[in-house]
Amino acid sequence: MSSKWMRWLPAAIVPAVVVTAAVAIPATAGAAPTLPEKSADEVLAMIADSTGVAFSGTLEQRSDLGLPDIPTTPGSSELPTGALEFLTGSHTVRAFVGDSSSVRLQVLDDMAERDVIINGDELWLYDSDPNEAVHVTLPEGTTAAIDAHAGGDAYPGYTGPRTPAEVATRLIEAIDPSTSVSVATTALVAGRSVYQLSLDPKSSETLVDGVTLSVDSETGLPLRVEVTAVGQDDPAVSLGFSAIDFSAPDASLFDFSPPAGATVTEKPIDPEALERRLSKHSAAHGALDAPHPTDPNEDHLAKHLPGVDAAGAEGAPAVYGSGWDAVVALPAMPDAAFPMGTDAGGTPASAAETAQLLEQLTTDVEGGRVLSTALVTVLITDDGRIFAGAVPVERLQAAAAGALER
Amino acid sequence: MPSDPSRASAPAIRTSGLGLFASEVRVLFARRRTWALLAALAAVPVLIAIAIRLSSDGDARGGGPPFLGSITQNGLFVALTGLAVSIPLFLPLTIGVVAGDTIAGEANLGTLRYLLVAPVARVRLLIVKFAVAALFCFAATLTIVLAGTAIGAALFPVGPVPLLSGDTIGVGEYALRALLLAAYVAVSLLGLSAVGLFISTLTTVPVGAMAATIVLAAVSQILGALPQLEWLHPWLFSHHWFGFADLMRQPISFGTFGDNALLQLGYIAVFGALAYGRFATKDILS
Amino acid sequence: MPAPAASAHADEPKAAAGTLAIETRGLTKSFGHATVVRDLSLAVPRGSVFGFLGPNGSGKTTTIRMLLGLASPSGGDIRMLDAPMPDAGRSVLPRVGALVEGPAFYPFLSGRANLLRFDSGDRHADPATRSRRVDAALDRVGLTAAAGKKAHAYSLGMKQRLGIANALLTPRDLLILDEPSNGLDPQGTREVRGLIRSFADEGTTVFVSSHLLAEVEQMCTHIAVMSAGNLVTQGTLDELRASGSMRVRVHTPDPGEARAVLSRLGLSPDADERPDAAVAVARPAAASATAVAYPGAASAAVASASHRDTVVTADLPATAPPPEDISRALVTAGVRVRGFSVDGASLEERFVALTGEGFDVAQ
Repeated sequence: MSSKWMRWLPAAIVPAVVVTAAVAIPATAGAAPTLPEKSADEVLAMIADSTGVAFSGTLEQRSDLGLPDIPTTPGSSELPTGALEFLTGSHTVRAFVGDSSSVRLQVLDDMAERDVIINGDELWLYDSDPNEAVHVTLPEGTTAAIDAHAGGDAYPGYTGPRTPAEVATRLIEAIDPSTSVSVATTALVAGRSVYQLSLDPKSSETLVDGVTLSVDSETGLPLRVEVTAVGQDDPAVSLGFSAIDFSAPDASLFDFSPPAGATVTEKPIDPEALERRLSKHSAAHGALDAPHPTDPNEDHLAKHLPGVDAAGAEGAPAVYGSGWDAVVALPAMPDAAFPMGTDAGGTPASAAETAQLLEQLTTDVEGGRVLSTALVTVLITDDGRIFAGAVPVERLQAAAAGALER
Repeated sequence: MPSDPSRASAPAIRTSGLGLFASEVRVLFARRRTWALLAALAAVPVLIAIAIRLSSDGDARGGGPPFLGSITQNGLFVALTGLAVSIPLFLPLTIGVVAGDTIAGEANLGTLRYLLVAPVARVRLLIVKFAVAALFCFAATLTIVLAGTAIGAALFPVGPVPLLSGDTIGVGEYALRALLLAAYVAVSLLGLSAVGLFISTLTTVPVGAMAATIVLAAVSQILGALPQLEWLHPWLFSHHWFGFADLMRQPISFGTFGDNALLQLGYIAVFGALAYGRFATKDILS
Repeated sequence: MPAPAASAHADEPKAAAGTLAIETRGLTKSFGHATVVRDLSLAVPRGSVFGFLGPNGSGKTTTIRMLLGLASPSGGDIRMLDAPMPDAGRSVLPRVGALVEGPAFYPFLSGRANLLRFDSGDRHADPATRSRRVDAALDRVGLTAAAGKKAHAYSLGMKQRLGIANALLTPRDLLILDEPSNGLDPQGTREVRGLIRSFADEGTTVFVSSHLLAEVEQMCTHIAVMSAGNLVTQGTLDELRASGSMRVRVHTPDPGEARAVLSRLGLSPDADERPDAAVAVARPAAASATAVAYPGAASAAVASASHRDTVVTADLPATAPPPEDISRALVTAGVRVRGFSVDGASLEERFVALTGEGFDVAQ
């Protein structure tokens, strides 16, 4: 009769094996490779030399900022969630980079896709739902500038993720004495051996525990950026390749023409405005950031603050302190319009929705309401001023109370 | 004893066992029920196309996924719309019927005991039954695609097809992708087939096994729709059912195809092992 | 359970191998608390036509399911064609043709397609000869004309024949036929009986279960009787006929005196006295259902000459006086003896005695 029970053995073993494999295989990243030792400066130099590396890859972006659940259905443009979308969920992005003037990013949504295609002096933005395309002809001479900053701000209307290289470039530009830089260890990312560069704030007043850049040991291309919040084990924000192939993508990928039936908007670009944005960016690595809080020096939300993005210098926020624990302050606003009031595409949200969202996201504290995430805190004082930073709420309150040096 | 020495010893011939598979396929397609199921599936795109043709205005997408453009502009969308519309209900329904019937149906007819004494080893019977259920999955999705393409081409203009990425492909490449899509959906249903096979070993009442399988397909989809159970979602066999959109990107993304195949393979392994445990130890009393 | 059985047979393994087509030791099957087959030890000699007799529900079909590996025994072991079952099923079953608990077919396939289907399940059956073998099997059971008809259009009798044809698809060493003449008319029953004899003539061992005594009696060389899950007896038909104790029956209008005399001679007359007619009533159905009347029925008919007579019966142990002394003593005592016979118990009486219940002789 024991043979009868033996026949149940597979039924007992197979599920255990399958579940174990499903859980364990993604978790084991593989043994850390042995690589020739490099100093932090050498790794930084590798990154600097990595421009122009062609590749095709799949990026995974995960954000776990501790925000409450917000409806983030792509395409439901009624809600001002364009920016929030990239703060709460996870995203898969395919990146194809040919040479300095051919880039294609695809945000893979459910049953939809958003594309950015740069091909020479042409820029296309395509959204499959609602089948709209935006076409921009870039002024001569700006292409290289865009590339130097890895695209960044030059995609008007695009709020999607960037490649780790873009983010890393920003981060490295922002390295200052408040940051200690070290090569922590080696690891495997997307099957490639990488050097892991740690950027750690010296200040203890920030919510950022550290930033880890994983840099491909052969090409110097940053493959992953992870931002860890104080008191968390898993990265609060992670952007990295899950697969990468260093062969030049098919050139036809960059040759885009919108499908028949798509609504195409020709968007002229003002060369001066572009110039101003680029120069401002490189000078101050200021308010024009990628829409995720990987840059410790600034509040990602600041990008969306009315008056900052568009108005430029005259509306510039006040900054208390510098480095990781800096606090950005905005002057009082007429109706305490919450930064979320405008979504990425500029669709105005109804006041009621904004109020409801505000209610949903913020909690009452002394002197105002606070939006608290793992990495960033925003304080809206009762008199309508806004303070933000990668700092605990107490520091914002201190800034509001005028206790911080400007 | 006058026994012939040629049959006193163990039989010398040993065939591959493909004969049983072929026989199983013949039995499946000799049933009027199988054809009725396929006809019902073929009717889905046909009805969609006719309804849209008759209603001059209104929603020309026919309930398909939003990325599909207007059917009235391109008849090739009918097949994909038909497939997408069939995924949540019609396909699980038909697969549930076929998979739930595998063992329980034979037990109910009494033919199971004659197969086993033929003899068909129980493992072999399970494998063949699953293989035929899998074949039906492919036949089902292919039926929808073919019927949809035919009716779409008959009622609407046909032309180059835009993809999710905004690029446009010709009819030839579209045909290839439509077949890939049919394959993707068929693969998606393999896990459900394995579940049905297991349930089918539990009972001698085929209707019960079919109903249970179909109910599980619904339960899996409902659980997959509950955001509170997000941790569970990647484990549900219906998790990638709508991931076929990745085949409509440029270049094709096979990531979801692979994830889906792996997930379904896990289900096949787990429920195959359960079905084996149950069926190999079961007393055949019907 | 198997251990003592094995040791009991340890001295005769060689003798047993090769001479028995089926051998079970201590075979037991329980479903929950209900034991359906208890400690069954069957020995079916090769070349025999083995009648497996028992009322409905006595465990015959369950035993057959265990023999064929459809159900696993709760205890005991089985050897079939010199190989252990169910472990050696893959090599043994191709040589075994079976009809288990009635025929079963795909109703939407033709009779011929059904046989092709089952044959394709046997990996040892040559696909090249499949079509020819199926036709031969159909021909043998007389279904050639109906081969193309869908199975759901078959009558019960035709299904039964198709089921037997299914058992004949390849040359078999052993046929296990569960109630093969179920649902057949008398003509069909006779044909099946003829088929079974012809299998036996070809050297095939036939294990045939039945609840019909007459059927078994007419075609079997060996017999085993099941009752409520227990094996009551087994042996050759002749052994069984002879094994019953001799009985004396006295047909007389003076039962009281006859009993007294018999008691005085050291016999113990049976308590019940039956009018002659009772014996006769029990049998005419059997006589008409099966074309051949059997000996018990004939003698009963003779005995029914007088309606007033009572039959007094008694076992005749070996220690009893010889029959002639008994008859003389009866006559001397003034008992009006209208009939006096000494015979072995009829098979039916034996079975009634063994199983405690009658058989459905007429079904």
